[in-house]
Amino acid sequence: MALHNFQGLNNGDEVDFESTWETLAASFTQIHTKNASLLSFEQLYRQAYKIVLKKKGDELYKRVASFEQDWLTEKILAKLKGLLSNALISGNSAETGGQTANERLAAGDRFLRELKTAWEEHQLCMSMLTDVLMYMDRVYCTDHRQPSIYNTAMALFRDCVLLSRITTSEEQWVTMLGVLRNIILEQIKMERDGDIIDKHAIKACIYMLEGLEAKDTSNGPEKLYSSAFEEDFIRTSHDFYKAEGETLLRESDAGTYCRHTKKRIDEELDRCRSTLSDSTTSKIERVVEDELIRNRMNDLIEMDSGVKHMVDNERLSDLGLIFDLNARVDSKKTDLTKAVQRIVVAMGTAINNAGAAASQTQPAPAPETDGDKAKTTVAGVANLLTVAAIKWVEDVLELKDKFDNVWSTSFRSDQALQTALTRSFAEFINAFARSSENISLFIDDNMKKGIKGKTEYEIDVVLEKAITLLRYIQDKDMFDRYYKRHLTKRLLMGKSLSTDVEKQMVSRMKIELGNNFTLKMESMFKDMTLSEELTAGYKEHVTKRGDPDPRRVDLDIKVLTSMTWPLEGMGASSESDEDARMKTIYPPAIERLKMGFEKYYSEKHSGRKLTWLANMGTADIRATFPKVPSKNGTIVRKHELNVSTYGMIVLLLFNDLPSGESLNFEDVQSRTNIPTNELIRTLQSVAVSPKTRILVKEPMSKDVKPTDRFSFNESFESKFAKIKVLSITSGNKVEGDRERKETEKKNNESRNHNIEAAVVRIMKQRKELSHQQLVSETLTQLASQFKPDVVMIKKRIESLIEREYLDHIDGGDSLRPLGPPAVRIESP
Amino acid sequence: MAETTDYVTLISNDGFEFVVQRSSACIAEAIKRMLDPRNNFSEAQTNTCKFENISGVVLEKVCEYLYYHEKFRDQKDVPDMDIPPELCLELLMAADYLNV
Repeated sequence: MALHNFQGLNNGDEVDFESTWETLAASFTQIHTKNASLLSFEQLYRQAYKIVLKKKGDELYKRVASFEQDWLTEKILAKLKGLLSNALISGNSAETGGQTANERLAAGDRFLRELKTAWEEHQLCMSMLTDVLMYMDRVYCTDHRQPSIYNTAMALFRDCVLLSRITTSEEQWVTMLGVLRNIILEQIKMERDGDIIDKHAIKACIYMLEGLEAKDTSNGPEKLYSSAFEEDFIRTSHDFYKAEGETLLRESDAGTYCRHTKKRIDEELDRCRSTLSDSTTSKIERVVEDELIRNRMNDLIEMDSGVKHMVDNERLSDLGLIFDLNARVDSKKTDLTKAVQRIVVAMGTAINNAGAAASQTQPAPAPETDGDKAKTTVAGVANLLTVAAIKWVEDVLELKDKFDNVWSTSFRSDQALQTALTRSFAEFINAFARSSENISLFIDDNMKKGIKGKTEYEIDVVLEKAITLLRYIQDKDMFDRYYKRHLTKRLLMGKSLSTDVEKQMVSRMKIELGNNFTLKMESMFKDMTLSEELTAGYKEHVTKRGDPDPRRVDLDIKVLTSMTWPLEGMGASSESDEDARMKTIYPPAIERLKMGFEKYYSEKHSGRKLTWLANMGTADIRATFPKVPSKNGTIVRKHELNVSTYGMIVLLLFNDLPSGESLNFEDVQSRTNIPTNELIRTLQSVAVSPKTRILVKEPMSKDVKPTDRFSFNESFESKFAKIKVLSITSGNKVEGDRERKETEKKNNESRNHNIEAAVVRIMKQRKELSHQQLVSETLTQLASQFKPDVVMIKKRIESLIEREYLDHIDGGDSLRPLGPPAVRIESP
Repeated sequence: MAETTDYVTLISNDGFEFVVQRSSACIAEAIKRMLDPRNNFSEAQTNTCKFENISGVVLEKVCEYLYYHEKFRDQKDVPDMDIPPELCLELLMAADYLNV
């Protein structure tokens, strides 16, 4: 509450306005000339108080304002004008004439400093004046809605000093503010170019601009700074960085560009802190980002020395810089992500092409060789293919390592980029038709040779790598098929170096792909263990019975559960073969053994049927060859032959044959009933391979024809006591085209089953679904195993409808299960 | 410049001097500005304020109020201050003048 309606503490003295004002005005001059200590605040305050009480506040307010205006115009402005040279006024560096940049800088500095002093003094004096005139502010200004005298005085400074016109020529004029702006902009440009400027002077002037309203009437927070300076500053910065970006792109490499950009941004931020206003920080940052990064990112990435170059040359820190820059303008890092994906896919495709080329060019030279060589060459080609397959995997792993490294060191382990990398890897790996097979071969190779002499940790690393690749594979069922096949061979032929590692691998797959995936593999291992027990048990059984047969044959049996082992890949691929194998005629000794075991087995497990897979087995035969005379007299020529079971059967045939006689191919076949292609292969291994030619073939050629004749090679010689007769099919090789088609066909069949099973499962659960929903649900359910073809799913659904497992509801699009009794769900 | 002391002297028009804490005195906006060393008026130099239009009785009450205000700063349930009715008007005017 104001009490100015009373006479106040005036004690009835009459106040003469004019004389009081005279005193005040004189005091104000003292204040402006820094002589305030001579004055009594109380007296001045009381005089102003009295004037206001006398309702002369209005008059006082105006007098003070005009006093300030006069003071500013006459003293301050005149002083500042004196400092301005024509060049500074024109603000155009082209017109500097003889002036050097340094002189210009110095002149600008002087002006800035003077302006700063003037402003600071004005502020100080005005704050003193305001204090003295506090009562006026409090009573008069509040009641009459006038801005406080302080604000008015500040506005006066703006109008009388900053906005005063300086005539440069007849028609032209600039404002003091314009001059100021030009000087500051020019100095900033100099600083950007490396000169050192007086930051404090500029900062003070900027501070002044910030403190002043743009207009008297403006209600908003618009300051003189943003309207008169910031816009221009941003605009010139735009131009500056645009030009700089162009030059830099043209003249330096991507790494330098990144470093420079980073430096520029830091500089600008620093400048905003030390020289300009914090409120500009985000704006100028955006300008630099726009001009140097956002608009240039693509060019930068595509440069000769861009991302591709950096990846190729392992310029990790440069990549990191690019990443930082891109992350700055785009949280998703779109540009960089795209570029990296492109590079990954390109490099991946190169590996794919190399892999494909290796597998296609190699078979070509094979037919040119002849005779025995051909055999080794064919095997060699297969080997080369396997090597190519493994090389493919290794290349992919190397690429993966490389990008992992880049990702963790340069890309700050960024989540989005990891996803992108994963997607790119998956893309090119899945684009390669043989990836599943190759990865399985890679594991196979490692299981057989690679892990020899490695520490547990190293093995771990290898397994982890294999799993990593496996993760990318979409058609996991394909891999499953190959892996089981390769695993089977390893297990049955004892090629695996360590069962522990095998089991580790399977448990890793279990973690990665789930229980279902490894179920069969685990039961394969179980079969192996059971078989060992069984063999031991049988041996004991035989010993107990005290079988007197001196020519006893040891039996090492592997009992395989027919559902879990992928036997179709083991040469028993068609029905006719199946029949043939059943009828294989074993030599009497073996037949007895077989019967014995079958009896033993059926005693233990009744109701199980054993099928003998001779094509999978091997046998050790101790063979005695006729003595031949040699320099050191006669030597007993005993060799231990390790041959396939079929090989053993064939060789035993010749055991009973009188020396010198021979059997032709058909004889051999009719006596053994071995399937034709198996027989050919067996005979090739024992009669054609140069080192294991136990039989002599008539005529000598590399192919086995039905008309060929075979006889025991009495002059067989070998340096070794133990001879391993290599079977042609023993190793895990890359498939031929025909085999591949076979595998794919098989795989598609099992996929069909899987899809149908999934569809039925979904329908049982959901009761009613539209066709489209069903398809998409099926897709998600099967995603972990493989990526099903939509057409395939639709076909399966059709087929299920045909077989009346499913039904359209009222002929509409929705489906419901009808199902055989087990699946039947009564519809209401 | 004279040093800034913890206590300042307030003088009434009839010559009574009150030595009060600076912090309390500065509760009155006018006194605060009067003593502001930045402005550097003679009052700030001498740490003394002479009020030509306030009597000793009133100024005493003002000082009492300033201490009272200082004491109960940031508190609720403040007891009323005892003000004799005959001083009311003069006190009000002093308060307006000093911008308490």
